[in-house]
Amino acid sequence: MTKKFSREIGIFVLLVILCIFVQSMNHRFISVTNLANMARLIGMYGIFSIGAALVIITGGIDLSVGSMFALLGVLLSIALVEKHWPAVIAVPAVIGVGAFLGYIHGVLITRVKLQPFIVTLCGLLIYRGLAQFIAKDETKGFGEAKGFEGLKSFATGAIFGVPIQFVLLIIIAIICGVLLHGCVYGRRLYAVGSNEVAARYSGIATNRIVTSAYVISGLLAGIAGILFAFYTNSISPSTHGSSYELYGIAAAVLGGCSLLGGEGSIIGVLLGTALLQVLQNLVNLLGIPSSLNFAVVGSVILIGVVADRVLSRRRVR
Amino acid sequence: MTTKTIKSISLALVLVALCGCSSKDSTSTSNSTSSGTTDKSGATAKHLKLAFVTNNASDYWTIARKGVEAAQKEMPNVDVAFRMPADGSPAAQQQIVDDELAKGVDGMAISPTDPKNQTDMINKAAGQVFVITQDSDAPNTNRACYVGSDNEAAGKQLGEELKKALPNGGNVMAFVGESDAQNAHDRIQGVKDAIAGTKIVIEDVRLDHADHTKAKSNVADVLVKEPNIAGLIGIWSYNGPAIYSAVQDAGKVGKVQILCFDEEDDTLAGVKAGAIYATVVQQPYVFGHDSVKMMNAYLNGDKSAVPANKLDYIPTLVLHKADIDAYKDKLNKLRGKS
Repeated sequence: MTKKFSREIGIFVLLVILCIFVQSMNHRFISVTNLANMARLIGMYGIFSIGAALVIITGGIDLSVGSMFALLGVLLSIALVEKHWPAVIAVPAVIGVGAFLGYIHGVLITRVKLQPFIVTLCGLLIYRGLAQFIAKDETKGFGEAKGFEGLKSFATGAIFGVPIQFVLLIIIAIICGVLLHGCVYGRRLYAVGSNEVAARYSGIATNRIVTSAYVISGLLAGIAGILFAFYTNSISPSTHGSSYELYGIAAAVLGGCSLLGGEGSIIGVLLGTALLQVLQNLVNLLGIPSSLNFAVVGSVILIGVVADRVLSRRRVR
Repeated sequence: MTTKTIKSISLALVLVALCGCSSKDSTSTSNSTSSGTTDKSGATAKHLKLAFVTNNASDYWTIARKGVEAAQKEMPNVDVAFRMPADGSPAAQQQIVDDELAKGVDGMAISPTDPKNQTDMINKAAGQVFVITQDSDAPNTNRACYVGSDNEAAGKQLGEELKKALPNGGNVMAFVGESDAQNAHDRIQGVKDAIAGTKIVIEDVRLDHADHTKAKSNVADVLVKEPNIAGLIGIWSYNGPAIYSAVQDAGKVGKVQILCFDEEDDTLAGVKAGAIYATVVQQPYVFGHDSVKMMNAYLNGDKSAVPANKLDYIPTLVLHKADIDAYKDKLNKLRGKS
């Protein structure tokens, strides 16, 4: 157990050290408001990061997520505000579109044998362009439109003080955790990621397994996309979600996924996401110049990965 | 399937995707096919091909487009290609400018995405045709004139409003996408000039790199770090809605003064609700209209159309709670919404 989750323990220690450091510098770090703010962001980023991780575990990559947020956000706004669809139809429809796009990626990768990088890169371009075209280059939003107040207050609300985004993340993490670590499906996913040929020869329907990972990634992107849309309340198609796929990939890799496939865990992704968000929060709470934001985030990730490398080498010795 | 086939299919897909992205940014509103029309004075105005190049694709430009279209109706001898670089990058803009030059336009109004580093692009175009900048200026180039807002003056207007909103002074935080963008720099400088000598202090400028989620979480973090912050200023158009939304979430509406720029829907809603003290708006419709008008007049021989200082500033307007309904009606008409 300890050996299996050694990477996750490393990142957990880094996260705790960072939290203690920030709290000692600014006691408002552990205040109800700040924790709620962070939980909200960790929830949204975590949900699609889990999708990114599943894809990475199969040895693939999903670069299309950020553009998908723009497209799905635009579609959601049009469905609710302009077409007056009831929320119970609009929400499943948008999540369905996400899953369907994931399915297309899966088919192109497994049946047409294209590289995941190329397929999802095209997705990144196509969905961004479609979002801009459909929105006619206008910012779409929810403004003061009526008819979906329930959905809006749900997507931005809280249960017993815990932001709904975080609650959804925990539910999704538990489902995916069981799927990945407690089911045959999970073992097959790892097997395909470690060695696809060997997995195929041992009777695993590799195509179906790989495709399923992209479908789940699309589906989770749909859920996160809806939450992001209501969080910002406006979707500017040219920038909404731009480069978010990198946050997902970073969270997955920080949390122990190998880009070569076959490695990674759900708890690791959660820790990776939390670490990234604490870093963003730290820059603001400590009053570090905003321009250093990316540099701070990049440095801490690098320190984490280097520390992990050094420690794991020692363990091997 | 061989690796070669895979490679060629991938390449084809990328090309298709790229074409898909760029073909949509060009729309030419054809108006006149005759080679000469008679203007009001009775003299024959030359048939002109003009281009209006924006710096990205957003709502803001749909308003400018209406101004361009209105000018076209008034001046049937001009034919304006309205072009928006889809991704807002200097490279995409360069391509559009090259395309238009190749098509043989007579005049071009450009909103440079990166004025400091696009000197060559603007000078090259200005060497061949009549070039003006609009919306965003590049003063160190050979452009004939600038048509647009004076961002520093707009900043001063906001600063004056800030003084009214915070008569006893206080700490203020500013939010923007990139602080090195010229308009952001000028607006912030204008605010600073206006509040000089008062007890208002701009503590810091928080950057979000045009990521709207970050724009909102930046505000949320500031409200945690400094619960007693007196004012929040949104420099770019989406910062207003982001501040309003974060302040609402934190339950601090009315406890902190919000001032911002531009006319996003949520900003106007915030001003109307009394949560945002004021917003300073530009008049892109006028940029669009006046750019075409100036190019047409100059190219038809009226050199006086270009002011001697080569600056045609279109004033910015301050909107308070009472101004919103009338302004919104006007805006909806311009955007083609009822």
